Amino acid sequence: MDVINKTQYWDERRGHIYSAKGGWVIGKGIASHGYSLLDDLVGGKSFFQVMVLNATGKMLPENFTRWLEATFICLSWPDSRIWCNQMGSYGGETKTSPVAAICAGVLASDSSLYGPGTVISATRFIVAALDYVRQGGVVDEYIETMAKTRLGLVTPGFARPMAKGDERVERMRQVAQELGFVDGPHMRTARAIEKYLLTQYDESMNLAGYIMAFLSDQGFSEQENYRIYSMCVNSGVHAAYSEAYDNVPDSYLPLRCEDIVYTGIPERVLL
Amino acid sequence: MIENKQQGQKVERRDETFAEAIETKIWCETASESNPYIAQKNLVHGYDHLELMAKKSYSEMTFLMLKGELPGKDELALFDATLVALSNLGPRHAATRAVMNASVSKTDITHLLPLALSILSGAHLGAKEVFDSVRFIRKNMNKDPEAVLATLLDAGDQKVHMPGFGARFGDVEIIPEQMAAQLASFVAAGKGLDWCQRLIGIAKEYNVGWFITGVASAAFVDLGFTPKAAAGLFQMAVSPGLLAHGIEMSNKPITAMPFVAEDKYHYMESGHGCD
Repeated sequence: MDVINKTQYWDERRGHIYSAKGGWVIGKGIASHGYSLLDDLVGGKSFFQVMVLNATGKMLPENFTRWLEATFICLSWPDSRIWCNQMGSYGGETKTSPVAAICAGVLASDSSLYGPGTVISATRFIVAALDYVRQGGVVDEYIETMAKTRLGLVTPGFARPMAKGDERVERMRQVAQELGFVDGPHMRTARAIEKYLLTQYDESMNLAGYIMAFLSDQGFSEQENYRIYSMCVNSGVHAAYSEAYDNVPDSYLPLRCEDIVYTGIPERVLL
Repeated sequence: MIENKQQGQKVERRDETFAEAIETKIWCETASESNPYIAQKNLVHGYDHLELMAKKSYSEMTFLMLKGELPGKDELALFDATLVALSNLGPRHAATRAVMNASVSKTDITHLLPLALSILSGAHLGAKEVFDSVRFIRKNMNKDPEAVLATLLDAGDQKVHMPGFGARFGDVEIIPEQMAAQLASFVAAGKGLDWCQRLIGIAKEYNVGWFITGVASAAFVDLGFTPKAAAGLFQMAVSPGLLAHGIEMSNKPITAMPFVAEDKYHYMESGHGCD
């Protein structure tokens, strides 16, 4: 292979951008996925519709957007004890810019325990469960075989930190019903899993499990889900940051020296 | 306190016990007699911080912080050489390009390093790749590299996928290989660097060579760092270059970095999504 052919793919992109997403032609307009930003989107579509359009190329109908917005409201609230929200408090404490604090909170939420960091595993879990059922299996077996690890039962999208039960799921089910949605195969499987887990382990579906089952029924992929929900905790971080920023410095859970318990090596001589 | 009007599922606090206080093996503060919030003496893994400041280098301190013990002479030599190797990835790396673009567009100066390190967190040439690569090396370095390669060879495309190793722009990279060879010559170099060198000696047949992330990972394995420590160390080690390239752009006009002209920006309109 000669040098020109070997690097042709990169040479074609050297100094050029090829985008199927959109672009700005100065003096003419801005395009997003075939729409004119100012003519078709501004004033006519919601922020969430445009955000999802940019993330996935899909324009959601209004009822879907209202459902999506409701999930975002469920996912972030003003309690500075929540781990990602604490980032906002510490940012306010050290007088960072709000952008730095909110970004820190959003990064913190990319966690395997909560927040958008759970999206991929929760989506995979419910998609794999439905595949298992479609191949003739039953959810009880799926839980007892596929979800059992040496660390115990691993059921992303079910159970949650701090609390047993998730009242948000029930509320979102009501919202979905009011907006005209009916359960699809992923949600029916999720409900069957929940029924089994409640009986056997006293654990239920959490909001991430509900959302990922819903979105999987609507044809969204795990990566699309991750991208849509990447910023889902920001509003609680906003609250924590604002409160701490407006307070006296060093006043968010101040610590005396003695409040840190040292469990390391006793004082030693440096040779 | 607020109470839900919705009568749904019962929600109960889990019966978990959270710590009453923060515990650490790293840092010990002794309070001054006059104010319990003011420290008068700090220990780092048992050593007086001010004494460390007088007698030890920054890299020794970093090693101590992460491993709990100061490095020996040979370990320090390998650690320092690794940190020097990683100190700049150059302006073609995405993280450096990110910081240069942010800086020239007058992003708040205090955001430059955090944003560059976020871009450096990825699974391709970033900290996530170091994390995966350290795990990969630790898992396999007691096995025959040929056998490991055989298990990783994709029967379909005849390609080998290993974190920290591969080809870029159609070829294996030259400088990371040279860096790995240089690091492997240090007294403290061990099984990690040696095994990776033998692996790449065979994998070259499949157009797989060293990435900079693989070099970092092999050295960090030999220095005894965990995957989690290695990922963060990689970000730390690259920071001087990221910061320097960012600062270099900070006083320049926004036109000092390329902005792709409209005739080279190709929007391939494919119509509306599902309305």
